Amino acid sequence: MSGGPYNYSYIFKYIIIGDMGVGKSCLLHQFTEKKFMADCPHTIGVEFGTRIIDVCGQKIKLQIWDTAGQERFRAVTRSYYRGAAGALMVYDITRRSTYNHLSSWLTDTRNLTNPSTVIFLIGNKCDLEAQRDVTYEEASKFAEENGLMFVEASAKTGDNVEEAFLETAKKIYQSIQDGRLDLNAAESGVQHKPSTPGRNNLSSDNQGSKDNCSC
Amino acid sequence: MLSINQDIFEIIQAKFSSSEVVRCIHLNVSLFTELSNEEYRILALVTKKSNSALFLFFCKKPNPIHLSDLFIETVIPIDENFECFSDTILGEDKYLLFIVKYRNFILEFRIKTGLESSNFASEIIKCKERSLYENCDHRWLFKYSDVKSPLDCTENKSQSPDIPFVRQNMAQNQNAINRESMLKYQLKLKEPEFTQYQEFTIFTGTWNVNGQLPSISLKPWLSCDTEPPDLYAVGFQEIDLSKEAFLFNDTPREAEWEKMVLEGVHPNAKYRTVALTRLVGIQLIVLINIKHYQHIKNVAVDTVGTGLLGKMGNKGGVAVRLDLHNTSLCFVNSHLAAHVEEFERRNQDYKDINARINFRRHPTAIKDHDQIYWLGDLNYRITELTTSQVKTLLLRNEMATLLKADQLNQQKERGNVLLDYNELDITFPPTYKYDLNSDTFDTSEKARPPAWTDRILYRGKGIYQQKYRSHMELRISDHKPVSALFKSEISVINQAKYRKVHEELLKRMDKLENEFLPQVTVDQTEIKFDLVRFREPQFRDIIIANTGQVPAEFEFIKKLDEQSYCKEWLRITPYCGTVNPGEKCDIRLEVNLETDLVELDDILVLHLNGGKDMFIIVTGKGQRSSFTTSMRALCRMSKPIMTLDDEQYRKIIALDGEVLYSVPRELWLLVDHLYTHGLTVKDLFESNSTQDSFIRLRDWLDFGSTEPISVSVETVAETLLIFLSYTKEPVIPSNLQNVAIAASSNYHNCKNIINEKLPDIHRNVFLYICMFLQELLRHSSENGYDAKTLASLFGEILLRDPIRNSKPQASRGKSNFIYNFLVNDLSTSIIPIK
Ligand SMILES: Nc1nc2c(ncn2[C@@H]2O[C@H](COP(=O)(O)OP(=O)(O)OP(=O)(O)O)[C@@H](O)[C@H]2O)c(=O)[nH]1
Ligand SMILES: [Mg+2]
Repeated sequence: MSGGPYNYSYIFKYIIIGDMGVGKSCLLHQFTEKKFMADCPHTIGVEFGTRIIDVCGQKIKLQIWDTAGQERFRAVTRSYYRGAAGALMVYDITRRSTYNHLSSWLTDTRNLTNPSTVIFLIGNKCDLEAQRDVTYEEASKFAEENGLMFVEASAKTGDNVEEAFLETAKKIYQSIQDGRLDLNAAESGVQHKPSTPGRNNLSSDNQGSKDNCSC
Repeated sequence: MLSINQDIFEIIQAKFSSSEVVRCIHLNVSLFTELSNEEYRILALVTKKSNSALFLFFCKKPNPIHLSDLFIETVIPIDENFECFSDTILGEDKYLLFIVKYRNFILEFRIKTGLESSNFASEIIKCKERSLYENCDHRWLFKYSDVKSPLDCTENKSQSPDIPFVRQNMAQNQNAINRESMLKYQLKLKEPEFTQYQEFTIFTGTWNVNGQLPSISLKPWLSCDTEPPDLYAVGFQEIDLSKEAFLFNDTPREAEWEKMVLEGVHPNAKYRTVALTRLVGIQLIVLINIKHYQHIKNVAVDTVGTGLLGKMGNKGGVAVRLDLHNTSLCFVNSHLAAHVEEFERRNQDYKDINARINFRRHPTAIKDHDQIYWLGDLNYRITELTTSQVKTLLLRNEMATLLKADQLNQQKERGNVLLDYNELDITFPPTYKYDLNSDTFDTSEKARPPAWTDRILYRGKGIYQQKYRSHMELRISDHKPVSALFKSEISVINQAKYRKVHEELLKRMDKLENEFLPQVTVDQTEIKFDLVRFREPQFRDIIIANTGQVPAEFEFIKKLDEQSYCKEWLRITPYCGTVNPGEKCDIRLEVNLETDLVELDDILVLHLNGGKDMFIIVTGKGQRSSFTTSMRALCRMSKPIMTLDDEQYRKIIALDGEVLYSVPRELWLLVDHLYTHGLTVKDLFESNSTQDSFIRLRDWLDFGSTEPISVSVETVAETLLIFLSYTKEPVIPSNLQNVAIAASSNYHNCKNIINEKLPDIHRNVFLYICMFLQELLRHSSENGYDAKTLASLFGEILLRDPIRNSKPQASRGKSNFIYNFLVNDLSTSIIPIK
């Protein structure tokens, strides 16, 4: 049997943060299951999901932690930021308050993750155009001022959900490629797939395709 | 090292019959459950026909040198019930856990990570995969029935579910072997979806050149067909009959014949050598049309000598294996034992070659290839006919009679050699033995009967032989070359389809992985305790139910920057454990308040190993109590603490208000009771009173009562000890403890500390207690106490450590300090008591 590596070569850890009810769990579910959960209970804890994606020909395993948004859990969920390679910061475009709180979420993220952590801002529920409470332009400006990547998405229709997760991964992968992200740092949020018996040389495969990545 | 392994390998092989082939072994395995390293074990993967089994050997020595050093401990057949996977061992990166399962039978080994283990694991996986396509027949294992084997493990002895366990490991990413082998297995199943057959022409030729120099063009042999073949496999025998070649296995002929072959191949295509292998005079060259070169992978060769002493290279076989696209091919060129009557020797040579060719990569054996082409000077003769009879029959073209007398046909029919191989009907004259440079059969004195010594056979699916012929025009040898042309179906991967299937499988496995994450529900995530009172534990039970498909390992974990997984007033039992799918587990949360905390508030993090975390909120209100209130505040209270309204309470706690008593009223009540009722009670402080009576006394103090104390004097004594043990500050404040201990040998210094360093109320309490103890000692004949005992009991309490439950420190110093005040006159420091 010919064929390339069967397995992933990196593991990226993501966290999803933002006020309660903005749709964090729905985004995760849409991304891993391609389904929308209409009546999703509040997350009381931290949910966990995984998916293997393909970035520049590399199989990457995403380990995604979906945190509880309720204010009273804030102190506890801070424990989960550490070691995240990507942070998806979500607000609800139909509820201004969730947008107003972004700066406090951002402060936490900056304080608790490392400088190379990729922060991606998601304005969720963009299917509810009629109830829009936050304009695209102002959020876009906020993102730009703070150096965040940004899209508006809908966990309901699936619009831009895939993109947000994948773009984040690409950005992380680029950081690895140009050495900004130190894989050996304990808290980089990226792991090389552990070498295991059965098939070796995954890492040497990685080297090969390193340079012709065009993303 | 390698040679040791080889020796052990051979010893292990000797344990088995020749049809049971040891494919590979793994040394130095230990059972995971075994702690001693005194035991040596070896794993061996053994194959018989298409069946495999894993054998666990127990050895008496680290490196067994004798058959008797080894015995078989366990046999595990490899079939669809067999599973294996690896896992990490916590805190060890040099070793990994290698788990083998057969239904409910589980063995866990600790093996060193490295090439040996990875090769061994992949061999096992290959066997497992193959077992899925073949009918498994484990009867050959029955003779090992006296050893432990999962074959006789009955179904219903189930202790742990099978699949989920594997899946759980998948979920935890700890099991790449498993994920990978599962993916490969699934891909294999789906192969028809992404492969198609493509016809390749394969030219195979064999020629015994009788030691002659390569002096003539091979074109008439190799290029006799109109179309150029895709692949050539050309075998020679006896390319060099010199002693040097025999002894040193080195000959200039090798390159010369290769050159001749390259010059002789079909002119309408370009060829490239894929492999060349030789054992003395037996040489095999495989060439590929260069347009297919990139689709050839995993080329390997091996040679086996079966000549002199059963191992020299004057006879034997050489083999080349390769993967062409998605089909594995094996070419064997053999030169078997000579002489008419030696057909059994030839059969044995054939078996030895099969058994001993080992490509050291998958598949390792000849028989495991999709297509096998076996060519060579097999040396089988025509029996029971004289030379002249043969010649006459040939002239009359009575081939059927002749072929019936052919030993190879006879032996094959009896199943003694080349079983399952096919050979096209022979239509060409015998290829042996000719006078050199002629087409005349042997005219020498010996006049050997002509024979079809040179043959080509094949085995496998999708092979269609087109031609089978000899080539008379090559006359330099006493043999004529033979060739066979095949049209063979080669499985070719359609890359686009393959990628699609691969992608889909990955997606499905992602989904499985999420599905097989551990899942539990907790019946309550908010736990409210009623009013929590001092030293009156309450508990609530929560139920963790496993609603997922894999066992869930749970544990309450620490939050960032916290010391413990819960606050000090809470206890969780059990705080970790495993719940099997469909099962439940009760967790008891117990609060026990020993401080003046009012708001009890904690968020517990219930972590599932390899899965999500759940938060559980615990809240409650702590009730105020004199036991946890500072003595300075208590001395300002005119009435029991619970009878104060909130405003009064707040003021007093803030030490706003007049000091009304020199010692806390509660302390006085307890000690006074003991003065009256306890001085003559034996072992006053040693009884264990009930929780219930303590609570009655606590409430009697905190709420106040007009009733007299209704509990035993021992309870009062114990409550006094509790009261002194929980005062907000130790009676001798923590910052004075070391000074006090240092001073303990000198009463004067001790007295100074008490008089000058202690806050007023603490001094009063201290002296008050000491005076009571002196009074107690005056009745020592009745109560049995002496000064030393009391000093050490109260030293531990009055100078208690700031952090409860930490190891008692310098208790001799503490008790010496107290001792001073029990044996000296205290009348100089009399204190007034209201
Ligand atoms: N119309 C619409 N509704 C959405 C969308 N995403 C989520 N919702 C709804 O919003 C509600 C909250 O979604 P959740 O995913 O539970 O929100 P959350 O951020 O995980 O909330 P917490 O777990 O409490 O932090 C649910 O009722 C969803 O059905 C969306 O894109 N469009
Ligand atoms: Mg949620």
